[in-house]
Amino acid sequence: MVSNAPGSPTLHSTAAMAVELTGITKRFGAFVANDGIDLAVRRGEIHAIIGENGAGKTTLMNILFGLLQPDEGSIRLNGEATVVADPAAAIKAGLGMVHQHFKLVPSLSVADNVFLGMEIRRHGLIDHKAQIARTQELSKRFGLHVDPTERVGLLSVGIEQRIEILKVLVRGARTIILDEPTAVLTPQESRELFQTLRSFVAEGMTVIFISHHLEEVMEVSDTVTVLRNGRKVATRPTSELSKDELVRMMVGREVSFDRRPRAAPDGDIVLDVKDLWARDDRRLPAVRGASFTVRSGEVVGIAGVAGNGQTELAEVLSGLRPASHGEAWLKGQDLTTLSPAAIREAGLAHVPGDRMVRGVDRNASIAANTLMGRQHRAPWSRNGMLDWKAIAGNAGALIKGFDIRAQGADDAVKRLSGGNIQKVVLAREFTNGADFLLIDQPTRGVDIGAQEAIHDEIMRQRAAGRAILLISVQLDELAALADRILVMFNGRIMGEVAGDDADEDRIGMMMAGVMPQLEPA
Amino acid sequence: MTDRLRAISGQIIAVGVALLMGAIIILLVGESPVHVLMTLLRGAFGDQEKIAGTLLQTTPILICGVAACIGLRGGMFNVGIEGQLFLGGFAAAWVGFSFSLPAGIHTLAALALAVVAGAAWVAIPAYFRARYNTNEVVSTILSNYIAVLLTSYFTIFLFKRPGGWSETPPILATAYLPEIFSFSRLNWGLFIGLVLAVGAALIFRYTSWGYGVTMVGSAPKFAEYGGVNVKRQGFVVLLLSGAVGGLAGGVETLGVHHRFMEGFAPGFGFDGLIAALLANGSPVATIVTALFFGALRSGSLLLEVDTTASREIITVIQALIILSVSAQVLIKRRGDSQAGERRWKF
Repeated sequence: MVSNAPGSPTLHSTAAMAVELTGITKRFGAFVANDGIDLAVRRGEIHAIIGENGAGKTTLMNILFGLLQPDEGSIRLNGEATVVADPAAAIKAGLGMVHQHFKLVPSLSVADNVFLGMEIRRHGLIDHKAQIARTQELSKRFGLHVDPTERVGLLSVGIEQRIEILKVLVRGARTIILDEPTAVLTPQESRELFQTLRSFVAEGMTVIFISHHLEEVMEVSDTVTVLRNGRKVATRPTSELSKDELVRMMVGREVSFDRRPRAAPDGDIVLDVKDLWARDDRRLPAVRGASFTVRSGEVVGIAGVAGNGQTELAEVLSGLRPASHGEAWLKGQDLTTLSPAAIREAGLAHVPGDRMVRGVDRNASIAANTLMGRQHRAPWSRNGMLDWKAIAGNAGALIKGFDIRAQGADDAVKRLSGGNIQKVVLAREFTNGADFLLIDQPTRGVDIGAQEAIHDEIMRQRAAGRAILLISVQLDELAALADRILVMFNGRIMGEVAGDDADEDRIGMMMAGVMPQLEPA
Repeated sequence: MTDRLRAISGQIIAVGVALLMGAIIILLVGESPVHVLMTLLRGAFGDQEKIAGTLLQTTPILICGVAACIGLRGGMFNVGIEGQLFLGGFAAAWVGFSFSLPAGIHTLAALALAVVAGAAWVAIPAYFRARYNTNEVVSTILSNYIAVLLTSYFTIFLFKRPGGWSETPPILATAYLPEIFSFSRLNWGLFIGLVLAVGAALIFRYTSWGYGVTMVGSAPKFAEYGGVNVKRQGFVVLLLSGAVGGLAGGVETLGVHHRFMEGFAPGFGFDGLIAALLANGSPVATIVTALFFGALRSGSLLLEVDTTASREIITVIQALIILSVSAQVLIKRRGDSQAGERRWKF
C-alpha cells in the first residue's frame, strides 16, 4: 500500500507513473463532460492541465479524486489499478486536492484547521504544541509561510490557500491536485506558490495543476495536457511548446463556421469606449485602458483567452461593475455613471456569459424569464400592474420565433437544454429594442444545431442596424461573425484584425501576449 | 403544476414525519398518541367557542406569517418579527390610552402607529444590511431582545397602571377592534390577516414591483442584471415585513388584551416565521399553516386537563416540524445541485 508519510519508501516507488487515467468518459445527461480522456502523469513532475471554461478539467480531476464516478474508463495510481470510490479512498492512495473554494473554520487557529479531523492527541487531549510544531516544520520546508497560532478568520485568501495545501500535506499526499490555484492570488502570491510547487517535486512529489492561464503554465509546468470540449487535444513537454501553439490547441477549430456574407458597415458610432479601466474581484486591474468604437450595423469581436479582462469589460459596460477610470459613451450617455437599469433604458441588451446565474432564473417559467428588464414597460405593465396574458402571449411568440424547444410559456427554464436556455436569453434581449447588443459567449455549451441558429440571429440583428459587441473565446465564431476582431490580453487590447482576413496565427500570437510585427502596408 | 405539487407533497411528508416522531415521544412519556391527538382536536375544534379560540390564536400567527413571507420573497430572513410585534403592540396601546379620538379613527390611528413602530424597528438592521451587508438574520434576532426589554421598561417605569400588574392603563373603547362573536374575543384582526395574506400574494404576482422583488429573492444576480436595485429592494422588503410585524402587535393589543402587558404575545413572531417557512413563503398557503399552528396552540390548552402529557409536547412537535421541514429542503437542494458539489453541500 501507499504510505502516508511524505518521504518514506513505498512498495511502488519504482512505478514511473503517479497517475494513469485511461478512456475516462463522464456524461451529465446528454452533455459529455469528458470524452474518452487518457492522461498519464509522471512521478515527480508538474503537470498542467489547461483548457477553456467547460473543457472538462475540473470534472476530470473530480473523477480522479473520487468526487465523481466515471461512466467509462479506469484509473491506475502508482501503477496499481484503483477504484477511487470517494475522496477518502483518494487520500488513502496518496492523492490530495486543493479546491477552488476553501473549506476552513474561521474561528480556529491555522494549526487547528490543518489538523482538523486528525488531531494529534496526548492523554486523550489535543496536543496543540505538537500540532503547531508540525505545522511550522511543514511550512518552513515548503515555503508556505503561515503563523500556526493565528486565527484563520483574520487571514487573506492567499494564506488560506497555503493552509489548504498544508492540510493536504499532513494527510500524506504524494500527488497534489490544485484546481485553478492562481485564480484567487495576486501575482506576488502566485510566484510564491510556484516556488512551493517546485519544492514539492524536488522532494519527489507530483503536482497536477489546473489552469487556463498560459503564462503560468509556461512558467511552472514540465508537461502540459490540453483539453477542449471534453476531449484531450495533446500532452506535450512544456519546453517544446510556444505560447501561441498552446493557444491554438486550446481554442482550436472543432467546428469550423463559414464566414457570413455581408456588406461593409457604414453606420454611425453607437458605442464609444475611451481609455476604460476596471478592477477585478481581487481589486487588481483587469481592464487596462481599453478604447474602441462599435458602429451601427457592425459586429466587433473581442477575442482572448478567458480571464484576460473580457468578463470585467462586459460587466462595466452593463453597469454591474464600476469603472475605475475612463468613459463609455452610448448615444450621448456615459455608461460608467449609470445604474444597470439606466443603462438598459439608454439602449443596452446584454447576453451574459454566465447564463445560468445572470441570464435566467432557472426555477421561473419562460414567461417570467422573458419579462426581466421590461417589467415596467407597456404593454407588459400598465400603472405598475403586470398583464400576464400579454406576457405569456409574447413568450409564446418568442418560443416560436426563436425555435425554443419547450412545451409552452409556463415551462420552467430549468427543464430546457443549455442551447434552449440560451435561446430564451437571446429572445428576450434581442427583442427589447436596444441599439447596442453586448453578447458574451453566445454559444458556450450549446450544441451545433443551436449554434448555427444563434449565429443566424446575430447576423439578423446586424442587418437590422444594431451595434454588436461579441465577446467569445472561440476564434472560429469570431471569424464567422465579426467585422473587426479586437484581441484582449492581460486587460489590454493588443491589436485589431479585420474579420475578412482573420489570420489565426496573428490572433493566436496576440492572445498569447505577443505583439505581432507590423507589416508594411 | 407538477413542481407545485411536488413542493406541497414534500411539506406534507415533512409534517407527517414530524407528527410520527411526536407520536413516538408521546408513547415514551407513557401517553397514548391517539388520545393526545383526539384531545388536541377537541381542544381546537370541539365546539364553536373552541373554534373561535383557535382562530383567535391563528390571527397573530397569520399576520406574523405574512410579515415573514414578504421578507422571504425578497430573499430576506426577518427573524425579528417578535420584536416588531412587541413594539407595534406597545405603540398601538399608547395611542389607545393616551389620546381621545372618535371610534374607528382611533383604531386606525393606533394601527398606523403600530405599523410605523414595526417598520422603524426593523429599519436599523435593514439599513446595516443594505449599507454594509451585515447578516440580517443575526441583527434581527438580536433586535428582538432589545425590543422586548424596551417595551418592558416603558410599561414598568413610564406607563405602569397604578396598583396593577406590569401593564399599561387600559385603552379607550374607541380604539378597540370590533369583536366578531359575543362569546369570544375573536375580532376583526382575523379579517385583517386574511386580507393581508391575499393582498400580498396578489401584489407579488400581479405588480411590476412584486416581480422584481420575487426575482431578487430567487435569483439575485439575474435581478441585478435586469436592472432591479437589489440592495434597495432588500431594504424596502425588510421595512414592509417589519411594518406588518408591528401591525400584528397592534391587532393583538387592540383586539384581544385592550392594554399592553409585559410578555403579552409570547412566540407569535416565531410561530409566524415557521408557518411562513412551512408554507414555502406563499402568503395564501400561510393561512393554512397558521391555522395549523393556531390549532396546536389552542388545542394544547386542553392537554393538561385531559391527558397526562404536558402541553410542552406541542413545543416539541413544533421543533420536530422545523427540523423535518429543513431536512426536506436540504434533501431537495441536494438533488438539484451539480453532482460534483453534492458531497460538500451539507
